[in-house]
Amino acid sequence: MTITSLRHPFGIFLWLMVALVMVYILAPLAVIVASSFGTTGYVAFPPQGFTLRWYEQALANPRYVNGFLTSLRIAAIVTVVSSAIGIAAAYALVRYEFPGSRLIESLFISPLVLPGLVLAVALTIFFSRNPIATGTDRLILAHLTICVPCVLRVVIPVLQRFDRSIEEAAQNLGASPVKAFFLVTLPVIRPGIFAAAALAFVMSFDEVEMSVFLASPREQPLTVALYSAVQLAFDPTLAAVSSILIMITFAIMVVHQVVSRIRSAR
Amino acid sequence: MNAEVELRTVSKAYGDAYAVDRVSLEVARGELVALLGPSGCGKTTTLRMVAGFVEPTGGAILLRGQDVTRVPPHRRDTGMVFQSYALFPHLTVAENIAFGLKRRGVARTEIRSRVATMIGLMRLSGLEQRLPRQLSGGQQQRVAVGRALVINPAVILLDEPFSNLDAQLRESTREELRRLQQELRLTAMFVTHDQAEAMAIADRIAVMNKGRIEQIDTPAAVYHHPRTRFVAGFIGRANIFDAEVIARDPAGVAARGPAGITFVLPQGDHPGRIAVVLRPEAIRLAAGTDAHGPNTVAGVVDVVAFYGATAQLGVKLADGSRLLVEGSGDLPQRFAPGSAVVASWAASALVASAA
Repeated sequence: MTITSLRHPFGIFLWLMVALVMVYILAPLAVIVASSFGTTGYVAFPPQGFTLRWYEQALANPRYVNGFLTSLRIAAIVTVVSSAIGIAAAYALVRYEFPGSRLIESLFISPLVLPGLVLAVALTIFFSRNPIATGTDRLILAHLTICVPCVLRVVIPVLQRFDRSIEEAAQNLGASPVKAFFLVTLPVIRPGIFAAAALAFVMSFDEVEMSVFLASPREQPLTVALYSAVQLAFDPTLAAVSSILIMITFAIMVVHQVVSRIRSAR
Repeated sequence: MNAEVELRTVSKAYGDAYAVDRVSLEVARGELVALLGPSGCGKTTTLRMVAGFVEPTGGAILLRGQDVTRVPPHRRDTGMVFQSYALFPHLTVAENIAFGLKRRGVARTEIRSRVATMIGLMRLSGLEQRLPRQLSGGQQQRVAVGRALVINPAVILLDEPFSNLDAQLRESTREELRRLQQELRLTAMFVTHDQAEAMAIADRIAVMNKGRIEQIDTPAAVYHHPRTRFVAGFIGRANIFDAEVIARDPAGVAARGPAGITFVLPQGDHPGRIAVVLRPEAIRLAAGTDAHGPNTVAGVVDVVAFYGATAQLGVKLADGSRLLVEGSGDLPQRFAPGSAVVASWAASALVASAA
């Protein structure tokens, strides 16, 4: 009998904890999704009646639709750029021991420990003094300051675990260092890179503080649109928008699971 | 000059410490040379310098007569088999083997036929589409060898290729590699810390210690005529005595060792202080307590180890040191622990090496 077995007292405790944590994480999402279908003009739980009116309103509202597209575009650009910078930096930090590499590593990670609001204010002041970018570009640069460290955090341990002799084998067989990186290193660490990119995407997509401070008024990300709507009134349209996001995420997760099942069964 | 690989006083220093210290070595076509030594002796660094992964701080490396000392690894004509095999985990067996050919721009049809030939040669038929993690350790090892062989390199470099296999598989894989190496007349360098492995498959052994080659010779010569005390102790089992030369004449050299032993060695040009090497299997034992004359010593049997066909005895000498004796399996019956014995040996069994 193992310690995780339900017949073991500690096992029962463990399973209970798991159940509680699951409920704690999933219940708010369930409340939002459920109340998005309610007929009352305010967010109510349990919902009364059933209607798709709020979804209709959400999809008809250009603020939400454009906000979604803006957020998507920003997150996509931030993901690609921060992955490129992050992978290259992680590779340099792991492969080459140079004076100060440890210091640089901790500096790279530091934006992650700063409160978002502090960064947002600091960057607002910085950009007003140094107009190196305008409009949405400012927000993209701001997001890079937190997404690059995030990519580094994920990719550095992945590269440290990577058996370097695999790269050497590729070179021994005639691949230049650059070719060895793209033909062997990159494909082998690909799962880690996907994880890093996904994290960067999510970080940018649901980032609020810097978006509120730095977003261009003409191109508001979804988080800003939602934030200003919440300040007026918390009507079920917001619940509908949130539910759409939850469902998209859920769909992506399901597709990912199915695809990886099919792949590993091959 | 028909050496496929030539190292000329190659050194690698890290600061003041020499990992490899003026190593010179030639590997002829079709020859398998083992670099043998304890860990940290510089054997792997030497191999990695030939492959180009470590840049020497001194000396020159030549492949087929061409100086490649400053040539990067991917433009050197070497095929390396890594200790961890270093197979590409995302590529199939066939793709792993084809990797080097693709980099060399070989035509697709030729790649297909050469990969197929190699898969047959390495007994990997039916596994072409498997990924490395779906293979056993022995199969992975054969893919690693096949991947290095298929590009027909000037030299095959093997870095402890059997260390990840279990004992039985290690022996058969070793024999198979040796057969393949001789059939295809491959030039190979082989790094190992296992002296039995080196003795079994190498044409010549370079015994390394502290970054230097102490001796490079055939396995028999390294065993029977170790030039240094280190070589004698590292290759096989040996009784090694410090001795002082006390007389020289045309018939031989007499030297006084510990426990009152007088060694008489075949004539040779020995300095005053020498290390006398006596292999355990060259010693004869007889019951008794009186040791007369040179090349004999009296003692008491104190340890007995029976191995079946052979057995080993430890004989305690008057000064407390122990003489290791190896003989046939009936030794333990003839000499029980505690029995007094006289050990003797022929002068020709003694080798003097530098003290």
